[in-house]
Amino acid sequence: MCGLAHYFEEEGLATVLVGFVREQIEKMVPPRALFLDFPMGRGMGKPNDPDFQKRVIRSAFELLDKKIGPVLKNFPEVIPVRRGRMGYALPPELVLTKSDVGDIARVLSDVTNEIEELRPAYDKAVACRGRTTVGASELSIESFVPFIGEFLSGHVPQSPRKGLPAIPLLKLVVEDLEAYYTETRTHRDGIDDLELMGKWFWEETKAGHLLLLLEAVSVASENKILLQIVEMSLMAPRFWSEGPLPGTSAAGW
Amino acid sequence: MTKIQEMPAVARGFISNLELNVPKHPAWTLPKPAGKRRVSIVSTAAISKRGDKPFSWLARDHRIINKSDRDLVMTHVAVEFDRSAWQQDLNVIFPIDRLNEMADDGEIGSVAEEHYSFMGAADPVTMEKSARQVASKMKIEGVDTVFLIPI
Repeated sequence: MCGLAHYFEEEGLATVLVGFVREQIEKMVPPRALFLDFPMGRGMGKPNDPDFQKRVIRSAFELLDKKIGPVLKNFPEVIPVRRGRMGYALPPELVLTKSDVGDIARVLSDVTNEIEELRPAYDKAVACRGRTTVGASELSIESFVPFIGEFLSGHVPQSPRKGLPAIPLLKLVVEDLEAYYTETRTHRDGIDDLELMGKWFWEETKAGHLLLLLEAVSVASENKILLQIVEMSLMAPRFWSEGPLPGTSAAGW
Repeated sequence: MTKIQEMPAVARGFISNLELNVPKHPAWTLPKPAGKRRVSIVSTAAISKRGDKPFSWLARDHRIINKSDRDLVMTHVAVEFDRSAWQQDLNVIFPIDRLNEMADDGEIGSVAEEHYSFMGAADPVTMEKSARQVASKMKIEGVDTVFLIPI
């Protein structure tokens, strides 16, 4: 982000950025920067709070009135993070192994039923918001579980999407599945709490359990790309955990 | 404030090991007065219009998001940041409605027709060519101010 600011400024465009890691901004010295003490993923602070969002924008844009720079300012309002982590992280002890998979058909059926139960609330959320972020994979919601199930069974299927191999597609399906759940729950229960949403999805739902099994199968896989995804915490959220996933080389770190 | 040394081990290691490339003589462009600014958003959230090609994991390229586009998806490779906020309100990462309101109120001059998205996980050095292409498009459109927002 800071690097991009330098390129645009060289091109004669005035830039202002917001950022979450102050030390990083200090090192990169972009021309104008507003430090946000917020969790990542929330650059304007709070969803559905236009006043708060405008306070962030105005505070950033005030830096465009400065005659000299570089300038770095703190946004005065803080959205606390938990234990220094700026997003949800799985508890380090919550790790499944391949031997936990058991009856695959049962695992998949449980998740399919759970998805169906949430469907009316999901549809209401989409209708109310007028949009959904589900669908980055371009697979139908009904296809998520069967597609993940192929990997759980130990083989990499043909990608049904032209131009996108099966494993990158798997990552998008995993993210679509999580989005389906969290979009539903944030709307149905009026919750805006990233820690609670992460805990619910990953630790309490059958879909979360399925994905932890997928992680376990991937760790044991001979497929290097699958292994790399879990080693680098690109499937299950372990980036902010106190240590890499057991059984991996942690080479990505 | 979250300090790198206080972050959990995995994150701390990753962030500490990032290479940082700072220009020796950073450029400084004089901004236009507030009421005359034409603003374009640059996001590194790897968001794009539904149906666009997904970002690759270390993508150097960009996607264009029109001022009227609201049906967006995210193909960012990382999962360490919260996605539940933008699921609830696009403006929390891409404040296009807020900028439109500010333009209507005269706080800024205008909002660009086109905005841009990059993959924040990629090294910015590899994005230079694409960033300069974006800058050219912006200048053709009369943009003078860039609002950069990470994920």
